Amino acid sequence: MATISIKNLVKEYGNVKAVKGISFDVKDGEFVALLGPSGCGKSSTMRTICGLEQITDGAIYFDDKRIDHLRPRDRNIAMSFETYALYPTLTVYENIAFPLRSANWSDQKVDEEVRDIAKRMELESILDRLPNELSGGQAQRVGLARALVRQKPNVFLLDEPISHLDTRQRHRMREFIKHLHLELGYTMVYVTHDQEEAMSMADRIVVMNEGTIRQIGTPDEVFNDPADDFVAGFVGEPPMNFIEGTIEQSDGRWDFKIKDQQFPLPEWVRAQGEKMPQQVKLGIRPFYIDINLSEDQPYDLSGEVFIVENMQDYTIVSVDTNDLRLQIVASGDFRAKRHQKVFLKFQPQFIRFFDLQTGKAIKSGEL
Amino acid sequence: MIELRNVTKRYGSTTLALRNVSFDIRDKEFLVIYGPAGAGKSTTLNLIAGIVQLTSGDILQNGESLVGVAPENRDMAMAFENYVLYSHLSVYENLAFPLKAKKFPKKEIDERIQKISRLLQISELLDRRPGFLSGGQRQRVALGRAIIRPATLYLLDEPIGHLDAKLRHRLRGDLKAMAMELNATFVMVTTASKEALAMGDRIAILRNGILEQIGTPEEIYHQPKNEFVASFVGEPPMSFLDVQPVQSDGKLIFRFEGCENSISISNRVAGCLNGSQTDFRLGVRSSELTISSQQDENHNTPAQVYVVEPLGYSNVITSKIGEGLVRVTVDSHIRPKVNETIWLSLDCDHLHVFYKEKAISHPIRNQNANH
Repeated sequence: MATISIKNLVKEYGNVKAVKGISFDVKDGEFVALLGPSGCGKSSTMRTICGLEQITDGAIYFDDKRIDHLRPRDRNIAMSFETYALYPTLTVYENIAFPLRSANWSDQKVDEEVRDIAKRMELESILDRLPNELSGGQAQRVGLARALVRQKPNVFLLDEPISHLDTRQRHRMREFIKHLHLELGYTMVYVTHDQEEAMSMADRIVVMNEGTIRQIGTPDEVFNDPADDFVAGFVGEPPMNFIEGTIEQSDGRWDFKIKDQQFPLPEWVRAQGEKMPQQVKLGIRPFYIDINLSEDQPYDLSGEVFIVENMQDYTIVSVDTNDLRLQIVASGDFRAKRHQKVFLKFQPQFIRFFDLQTGKAIKSGEL
Repeated sequence: MIELRNVTKRYGSTTLALRNVSFDIRDKEFLVIYGPAGAGKSTTLNLIAGIVQLTSGDILQNGESLVGVAPENRDMAMAFENYVLYSHLSVYENLAFPLKAKKFPKKEIDERIQKISRLLQISELLDRRPGFLSGGQRQRVALGRAIIRPATLYLLDEPIGHLDAKLRHRLRGDLKAMAMELNATFVMVTTASKEALAMGDRIAILRNGILEQIGTPEEIYHQPKNEFVASFVGEPPMSFLDVQPVQSDGKLIFRFEGCENSISISNRVAGCLNGSQTDFRLGVRSSELTISSQQDENHNTPAQVYVVEPLGYSNVITSKIGEGLVRVTVDSHIRPKVNETIWLSLDCDHLHVFYKEKAISHPIRNQNANH
């Protein structure tokens, strides 16, 4: 096991700057997810850590040793990729056994190890099959099993290893990989575009966009205190609602004003409001908006129901207000008709603000 | 109304795409056909449209057989996953294209385009060319072109299937709202369970050419007929536990596979058993039970925490009972440690019970939830 240190990493493909000088550390035994949309630079970063790509500038260290000039095989890494390249002429059993046989393991030890991993990956019934007889999901699990049988790698690198699986298998594998990490304690880097995967599995998440790092933090931190509106919008499903508006002060009241409606701001904004920019972008997650069919309760905004999606355990309500469409997550028994008038109350502790120009979060501590 | 009667479709001599499938499509409903790849979903749609011919059975429209009726005479419009917009034509001309091809009068074409573009919120884009649109706008235009032709029945084959998750999420609401405004019948094929739940007035679930269940989202979710339907709808997926019904001290209990723990069997569930000792499984959705750090009157089943997954709004805790894994959704501040013992509220009146993969008992639901 090892720590990983990425220092000012730059990766260019011709004129395209895929990674624009990023730095982050992975602690010994830590599980770090690189999260972002396609083209954000997460896979390029991963491929330089593996040694599949040369870096353009910067440095990569495992512990204190600089490794970015080493060949992949000299880096002592285990990896599993979205495009699983299994040996087509070998059975599943022999594919998984391959790295062990290369390391001159005895037949008996190979057999124990292969059967152990096959049991945990639910591959026991297909050990005799050839790769072309497998479904996409099965092949992906075999690729993962083969990466996992290798003993004591410095680091374990996974690039979208479960994206081909159906929902049920994906949940099983997610739980499996996370549990395995807890048991084996490998230093792990996991690339994904799926925010739920990153949230559910990683100790820390590196959120990337356009070749830069937007935030590094625990799942709690990126969810509750996003560094900017990109992170806020990317993490969480349904995504955070954003409302551009003006902060208005009159008669000791601090209000957030959008078009024809306004509502009082949370205490922390009022307490330090002098330094608050006048024009801001307010962010609120769908889960933290209360929705009512009557105006008896205090409310912040009123609007009209666009569509109700009853997911059974919960209900997603899309509401049109002030030329905006907001999404609210209500309880599973919430019912409303299209065009019905509804009243929204934002839970004040969950309101976030972002700078209109830079998108950076405006935090209470920094005011 | 469309009626499928014992519809079977064979491709070549071996591939049986649909096996004796019967169901109705009611007027003005939004029916979702949902299932994994190779289930026969697109085949069903193509048979209704008349693009492929059935091997046996019948399809009726308003009581009259459609066999032998050409696709263009069926008063249906069909849209596929991949529609390409003409890059040299404006949005308006792209939308007008299918109507011009059918020789609609100019005035009607214009009225139709205004209506559809208002519904899809693309009115401001009518003069632009596809190259100047965002991905989401392009998709909306493509969707508009698919449904621009007036019809009483629209057939949509994964209309938003290849988009990224965020865009899909937005467009499914737009699409459903538009369907409600058009006041027509919609049949949509999807492989996404969230889309099926969010959009369908009813959902037909297909697997390997067989209709597994058809019903409202509520029926499909809360009263799945078998383990396949149960596991294929809802996220996180339903957890399953192998159990054996046994007598213990004169009481009937379910003993969990791989450990000595058990739960008692209520009279209601006992009445659904058949004397068999094997092939029983319990099914539980992550929202259908709670956990406690201590044993109490509701939390009687010990389990070892396997993994804790934070999702922001909530956490999913997966714990082990013997060889089985159970997921529970809890508040985001509840975080037991791995391998810690927690207590689950497993109560057989609030579980799904399956025998040989068929459901024999469903949870008693809180009455409020039905209204």
